[in-house]
Amino acid sequence: MAQPLVKKDDDRDDEAEYSPFLGIEKGAVLQEARAFNDPQLDARRCSQVITKLLYLLNQGETFTKIEATEVFFSVTKLFQSRDIGLRRMVYLMIKELSPSADEVIIVTSSLMKDMNSKTDMYRANAIRVLCRITDGTLLTQIERYLKQAIVDKNPVIASAALVSGIHLLQTNPEIVKRWSNEVQEAVQSRAALVQFHALALLHQIRQNDRLAVSKLVTSLTRGSVRSPLAQCLLIRYTSQVIRESASNTQTGDRPFYDFLESCLRHKAEMVIFEAARAITELNGVTTRELTPAITVLQLFLSSSKPVLRFAAVRTLNKVAMTHPMAVTNCNIDMESLISDQNRSIATLAITTLLKTGNESSVDRLMKQITNFMSDIADEFKIVVVDAIRSLCLKFPLKYRSLMNFLSNILREEGGFEYKKAIVDSIVILIRDIPDAKESGLLHLCEFIEDCEFSYLSTQILHFLGIEGPKTSDPSKYIRYIYNRVHLENATVRASAVSTLAKFGAMVDSLKPRIFVLLRRCLYDSDDEVRDRATLYLNTLDGEGAVVESDKDVKEFLFGSLDVPLVNLETSLKNYVPSEESFDIHSVPKEIKTQPLAEKKAPGKKPTGLDAPPSGPTSTVDAYERLLSSVPEFASFGRLFKSSAPVELTEAETEYAVNVVKHIFDRHVVFQYNCTNTIPEQLLENVTVIVDASDAEEFSEVASKPLRSLPYDSPGQTFVAFEKPEGVPAVGKFSNMLRFIVREVDPTTGEPEDDGVEDEYQLEDLEVVSADYVLKVGVSNFRNAWESMDPDNEKIDEYGLGLRENLTEAVNAVINLLGMQPCEGTEVVPSNSRSHTCLLSGVYIGDVRVLVRLQFGIDSQKEVAMKLAVRSEDIAVSEAIHDIVASG
Amino acid sequence: MLMAVLISNSVGNILVERFNGVPSEERLHWRSFLVKLGADNLQRASNEELFVASHKSVHIVYTVLGDVCIYIVGKDAYDELALAEVMFVITSLIKDACKKSPTERLFLDKYGKICLCLDEIFWKGIVENTNKERIKRLTRLKPPGEF
Repeated sequence: MAQPLVKKDDDRDDEAEYSPFLGIEKGAVLQEARAFNDPQLDARRCSQVITKLLYLLNQGETFTKIEATEVFFSVTKLFQSRDIGLRRMVYLMIKELSPSADEVIIVTSSLMKDMNSKTDMYRANAIRVLCRITDGTLLTQIERYLKQAIVDKNPVIASAALVSGIHLLQTNPEIVKRWSNEVQEAVQSRAALVQFHALALLHQIRQNDRLAVSKLVTSLTRGSVRSPLAQCLLIRYTSQVIRESASNTQTGDRPFYDFLESCLRHKAEMVIFEAARAITELNGVTTRELTPAITVLQLFLSSSKPVLRFAAVRTLNKVAMTHPMAVTNCNIDMESLISDQNRSIATLAITTLLKTGNESSVDRLMKQITNFMSDIADEFKIVVVDAIRSLCLKFPLKYRSLMNFLSNILREEGGFEYKKAIVDSIVILIRDIPDAKESGLLHLCEFIEDCEFSYLSTQILHFLGIEGPKTSDPSKYIRYIYNRVHLENATVRASAVSTLAKFGAMVDSLKPRIFVLLRRCLYDSDDEVRDRATLYLNTLDGEGAVVESDKDVKEFLFGSLDVPLVNLETSLKNYVPSEESFDIHSVPKEIKTQPLAEKKAPGKKPTGLDAPPSGPTSTVDAYERLLSSVPEFASFGRLFKSSAPVELTEAETEYAVNVVKHIFDRHVVFQYNCTNTIPEQLLENVTVIVDASDAEEFSEVASKPLRSLPYDSPGQTFVAFEKPEGVPAVGKFSNMLRFIVREVDPTTGEPEDDGVEDEYQLEDLEVVSADYVLKVGVSNFRNAWESMDPDNEKIDEYGLGLRENLTEAVNAVINLLGMQPCEGTEVVPSNSRSHTCLLSGVYIGDVRVLVRLQFGIDSQKEVAMKLAVRSEDIAVSEAIHDIVASG
Repeated sequence: MLMAVLISNSVGNILVERFNGVPSEERLHWRSFLVKLGADNLQRASNEELFVASHKSVHIVYTVLGDVCIYIVGKDAYDELALAEVMFVITSLIKDACKKSPTERLFLDKYGKICLCLDEIFWKGIVENTNKERIKRLTRLKPPGEF
C-alpha cells in the first residue's frame, strides 16, 4: 500500500493478468473517439472507446475545455445509432462530461425526443440526463413532462423524475416546489422505490412547514409504507415532529411513541435499528420508553453481521453518556465484543464499558483493556485514552490504577498524536487530582528519558518547571531534567535550562546546586542554550542587572507575557530588522479573536499541555490585562470572574455583539465585543446605552466608547457599574448600540466625510447569582466536606414543584448555582426516584463552598430537595440558600 | 448523503471513484485514508466480509471482493445500515457482471458494465436503486421485470 495513488497503467505485468487498459493514453483514446463521427457507426467499438474514456475520468484524468467539447460533440453523434447498449453508454458519458451551458443546446433536442419516446427506458434515462445538464430556462420548458413523469405508471420513470427533483431542488427550488401535488400522489405509489424517493422529495419541499410535515407523518404512520428505506425516512421525520412538539405535551404521553415502538417489531433490521435509535435520542426519554429499544440493540450486539453490531454498539455508546444505568444490562454482551475482529466495534465496546462501569469494576476492566490495546491502531487507542481520562475524573479514588495504565501505555510504541493524548491526560489528572500529582510527574519524567518527540519533551519540561518545585521533594526531578541537557537536541536542551532555572528560583535549598548545573550549560554548542543559561544565572544571582528582587525573578520566570501570543507573533512577523530594536510595548494588547459563545461552551474538550496550567484562568488573565489597561477600571481591584460571552444579536445580523460580564468585588464591567459585518460601513464612537432600571442595586459609573469599528475587525466597548460590596446583586439590563455610521466607498475603501448617528437594539442581559460563583472542583468531595467546619453548615428543604424527571431538576439547580458538579454526580441514573448531587465552588470574596443536594421525586412528579451547604463562612452558606430560595 | 464510492485493487490503485460533496482538495486525503483503512483491515478478511467504521461524523462501510476492495462513505441519512444495503447490491452486481469473484483483470474487462451498474445504483450522492435484478435490466435499457 506504499503508493496507493499510482495510476493503474504503469503497474506490474505479472503472469497473464494484463489489464485491458494497459498503456492507455489520453491522446490515443481521444483519437479513437473520432470513430464516433464515422458515417457507419460500429456500436461495439464505440462502446469500448466510451469505456476507456470513463476509465480515464475515473482515474482522475481531466480533459481540457477543447478536448471535452470535442468529445462531447462526437458523443452526441452517437444518438444516430439504434444500438441499445451504446445508447445507455451515451447517457452515462454525457452526464460524466457535464457539458457547459452553451454546449447543452446541441444535445437538448435529442434528449427531448428520447423523453417523449415510446420506449420507457429511453424516457427515464433522458430525464436523468436532461435534469443533470439543464439550467433554469430549459427546466421550465420540460417541467410539464417532468410532472407527468412523476406520476407515470412505470416506476423507473417516476423514480428518475423524483430523484432529478431532489437534485434540482438545490438549484431551482421555486420550480420543484410547484410539483408537490404530483409528488404527494407518488408517495402513495405501490412501488417501493417510488414511494421512498417521493417521500424524500416531499419532505425536502415542505421541510420549513412544520404543520405540513406533521400532517405528512400523521397520515403515513397510519397507512402502510412499503419500502424499508421509506420506513426509515418516516421514522426520522417522526422523530423530528416529536422533537418539535415536545414542549406541547401536557399529558405525559409522547405522540407517535407507539409508532416508533411498533417499528421495533418490523421485519427489516434497518427499520428496527432506526426506530431503536430514534427512541434513544428522544428528549428526556424515560426508562420505560428506553427499555424496548435497548433490548433490540442488545440482540444486535450478538448479530453475525458486523454492521449491525457496530450500529448497535455505537448507539449504546451514545446512550451511555446520558443513561449509563440503562446500558448496564448489555455489559456482558459488550465485554465479548472487546475481542471483535472489527476494531471499531471493539473500541466502541470498550469506551461504552468505561462509561457504564462502576467504581468496583474499574480494575477488572483495565485488565481487559491492557490486552486489547496492543492490537489496535493509534486512532482507536486515542479514543480509549480519552475515555480512561474521563473515567479517572469520575472516580478520582481509582487514580492509581488508571494512572499506572496510562504510564504503561506511554512506554509502548506509538505515534505522536497517541503519545500526546496520553501525556495530555496525565497532565489533566495531575491538575485535577492533587493526590495523583507526584506519581504523575514521575511518569512524565520517565517518559522524557526516552521520548522521540521534541515537542512533547519541551512541553513536559515546561510543565515540570511549574509543578515540580511545589512538590514535597523537588530534588528528585532534577536528574531527569539535567539528563536532557546531555542527551537531547538543542530545542529540548534550551527548554531543560529554563526548567532548571525555575527550580532554582522556587526552591532555595536547591539554588546553589542548580547554579553548578547552569554553569555547565554555558559551554553548550548551541547559542540559545548558552544564552538562556547566562541569562538565568544573572537573573537568579540577584546581583546582576536584569532584575532586582526575588519577586521580580519569579515574575520574570513564571509570569506570562503581557500580550496575547497571537499579537506578538504577528508583530514579530511584521518586524523588519533594522537599527531600531523590536519593542514589545508596540504589540497591541487587545484580544482580536473572541472565545466561543456561552451556548457552545459545554461541548469543549478538556485540554492538556496545549493550554496553560489552568485552562479557564488563562482567559481570565487575558481579560484581567485588558481591563487593567483601561484607566477607568484600574481602581476596581482584582477581577473575580469573567463569564463566557453571551450573544446579544442573532447570527448573521448587520452587527454581531456579544458581552462578557466581569465581576469585581464592588463593580461589574460589561465588555461588549462588537463586529461590523457590513463592508460598506465604518462605525465610529460606538457605545452601548444600558438601561439599568430593572437592576436597582447597580449604578453606572463609567463607559468607554470604541473610537472606530471598521468592517470585520472586532473591537470592544465597556460599561461599568457599581454595586454593593460582596453582595451577589442581580438584575436585568437592556442594551442599545449607538454609533455614528459613515458610508465606505467600496472601490477606494475610503469612508465619506459625513456620518449619521444611528442605533441598533440588542437583546437584554441579566446578571444572575451564578455569576458570583466560580466553578472549582475538588478531587475528593468527602474529604473536603469533612474538613469544613460543621458549624458553618446550613441545611434546609425546598419543594421544586412539578418536574419531568430528576435530571431536569438537578440541572436546574446546578445552573442556578453555577457550581462545579463533582464525581460525576450530575448524571442521574434513568429510573431513580432519588439522587444525591455534589457541587463545589468559590463564592465572591474567595470563600470556598461545598453543596450536597438530595433530590426525591414522587409518583406525581413533585420534586423535593434537601440542600446542605458548608463553606468557610456561615454568611456564604446562607447566601447559597437565599439563591435557591429566590430562584 | 453518499459522499464517496471507491473501488481499488488489492494494492490500493484506484479503479473507480465517485465523490459527491467532497471538495477536490480533500479527495486525496480521503483516498489515502480509505486505502490505509483497507490495508490495515482487509488483508486477512474473507470475501464480502463487511467492515465498518466512523470517522468524525461520517460512516464508512468497506469490504473485499476477490481482488478488489470497495469503500462506501456516507453521512446523515446514509448511516452504516444504509451503506451496507448499497454495498450488498454493488458486490452482487460486480459478481454477476464478472460471473464470479472478480480478479482485477476480470473487473477491468467488465469495466463499462460495472460503471453502468453504479450509475443505476446511485447518482450524485443519492441512492436510486437497490434491486439487483431491476438494475441488471436497466443497464440493458430493458423495463423492470415486475412492471
